[in-house]
Amino acid sequence: MVFDVEFIADVLGGYPRSARLRKALRKLEEEGEAGLAEVQRVVYEDMLVVVGVQLGAGMYSVVDGMLDWHDPLRPFAEAWRGVYIDGLLRWFDNNFFYRIPVFVEEPDPKRFVLAPRVKTLRSILPDWARIRVVVPGPYTFTKLSKNRTGRNDRELMEIIARLLAEEVRRAVEAGASVVQVDEPMFADVDAKPDEASEAVEAVNIVFKAAGNAETRLAIPYNVPSPDIYERILDVKAKTIILDFVDAFERGLKLVREKGVGGHELGAGVIEARNIYIEPYERFASQLNAIKSVYRGDRLLVTTSAWLDLIPFHYAVEKTRILGHYTTRYASAGAR
Amino acid sequence: MGYQLPKALITTVVGSYPKMPEAEEAIRKRKRGEISEEEFHEAVKPAIKAVISDYLDAGIDILSDGEQSREDMVVYFAERIKGYEEGDWVRIFDNTYFRKPVIVSKLQYAGPMAIADWKYAQSISQGRPVKAIITGPYTMIDWSFDLVYGDRREAVIEMAKVLRKELEEFVKHGARYIQVDEPAFSTRPYPEEAEILREALEILFKGLDAKKIIHICFGRIEKVLPYILDFPVDQVDLEMKNSNFRLLPYLKEYGFDKELGYGVIDVHSLRVETVEEIKEDIRRILTLDILPPEKIYIDPDCGLKRLPREIAKAKLRNMVQAAKEVRRELGYED
Repeated sequence: MVFDVEFIADVLGGYPRSARLRKALRKLEEEGEAGLAEVQRVVYEDMLVVVGVQLGAGMYSVVDGMLDWHDPLRPFAEAWRGVYIDGLLRWFDNNFFYRIPVFVEEPDPKRFVLAPRVKTLRSILPDWARIRVVVPGPYTFTKLSKNRTGRNDRELMEIIARLLAEEVRRAVEAGASVVQVDEPMFADVDAKPDEASEAVEAVNIVFKAAGNAETRLAIPYNVPSPDIYERILDVKAKTIILDFVDAFERGLKLVREKGVGGHELGAGVIEARNIYIEPYERFASQLNAIKSVYRGDRLLVTTSAWLDLIPFHYAVEKTRILGHYTTRYASAGAR
Repeated sequence: MGYQLPKALITTVVGSYPKMPEAEEAIRKRKRGEISEEEFHEAVKPAIKAVISDYLDAGIDILSDGEQSREDMVVYFAERIKGYEEGDWVRIFDNTYFRKPVIVSKLQYAGPMAIADWKYAQSISQGRPVKAIITGPYTMIDWSFDLVYGDRREAVIEMAKVLRKELEEFVKHGARYIQVDEPAFSTRPYPEEAEILREALEILFKGLDAKKIIHICFGRIEKVLPYILDFPVDQVDLEMKNSNFRLLPYLKEYGFDKELGYGVIDVHSLRVETVEEIKEDIRRILTLDILPPEKIYIDPDCGLKRLPREIAKAKLRNMVQAAKEVRRELGYED
């Protein structure tokens, strides 16, 4: 068997915090500014660990682990004027809660989140290491926020898209070479086809700012419905990443029947939300099935979601098997 | 059992109550292995007594033990069911974590888990019924790591078989109201998930001689409301206040005909709802003529554990007063 597909592997996003980072953050909460330097030091050191884990496992690109982010929306909402952070709401179908951003006027940036992080990473990584930045998509951001700006949701979504686009533009300028936009809302039970078309336009604003960087749209936690997926295919991203763990057959059917619209496919096959270590045989059989419906030149193999909701040592192990299984599978095909 | 429940708009609680210092201390001692399970439940009694005292002061009709022994609604049962191991820390929000339990072998009932606290609460409730409350099988599985079953439906069904034994114990000891909490269900409002839960509830409740209640909260419940109507339960307890009663038109549309636990207290807010406000909220459902007042139970949206004790008590006091005044307006009370 010889594969005519190239396989690359990447974790989808954030990592869990180590015990010492949790403790340092608790100390910061208790002592205020006095604990800040300690938190910054531990975040930096732990970031080196998770980047090392990814490089060691042969990942195509690396993320900094987003270890200091309390939830995927928070760092951006806190960096913008005109937004405050409110109570807790459940993050999709996870036993994890995010704080609701409340937009009270048109947001504008006080500072930028991603570029300084990329600069830090770029200064320590070799040139060949690709740095990936991940931003929440404007559709997900808008739907999970409260809009008290007086503008309608579509207008707010566009404004958010422009802010995220500027984040991305600066991140790429600072040295990021892969840009990933996460839009779990596309697969949510409340997603609507007409909204999806508008959402794709908004996401495209973000991707347009990515310049020469490689672009990816990720849709974790579920598989979008076929009518929504048809609209997603208009996205101007190189790769569309689907979650094949939550509903494998539905994901397969979607790709078989609707194709990928000229995009590359990213397949989330390593379960990110359970600590069960899947055997290689299951991984291989799933990739065989995906390959049978996908005709692209390159397949991105990834985790079904971020790894931040499992304990740290399992996240490391999931990264290791992702790299190891992908290499083994690709080698088996090359023989 | 001398207490006469009102004929309509019975007041109750969902379950948890702010943790009393005695309970916190008992939980700490048990974790350190300084006390046995029996000593633990003995040590928690003063906390339960304080909870019951607050309920009685407020005038609640159907009480709970305040879940004083339960540090977490899943971990408490996981620590007492065979097949579980203590898990590692997993984030819930911000920098707050819980030890997500891990299923490492086939699940087995190891003996009564929540009976002792319930029995004690019932013994000091001055004749008012005390609900027997457990975390449901769907939520237990969803909020655990599973290294054994690899299939959610199978794990939920096996968990239901285990929890069924606990419910049998409750009924054997005289529980007349049994409540199963399923907050995880509303995170996946899909028919196939509703079917898994329905199947589990059949196992849990079949043939049990008690009022059967399911509590569901904070999610897009309208998507699965028609399926909930098929659940083998007498009462569905729903959060309403926090979501501004947006479920009411759906209850009307789908012809909701079970008893309803009607949440009128926002457990995420420190503001104490006024009596007038709660009365208005009770009148909302009465005006829509969805159910007769006899089938409506007035309660908070969810457990009160995250509130300061004085706020929780003040909220309950106003809730009871509002129910009483509406009953009077409707001619159920003099």
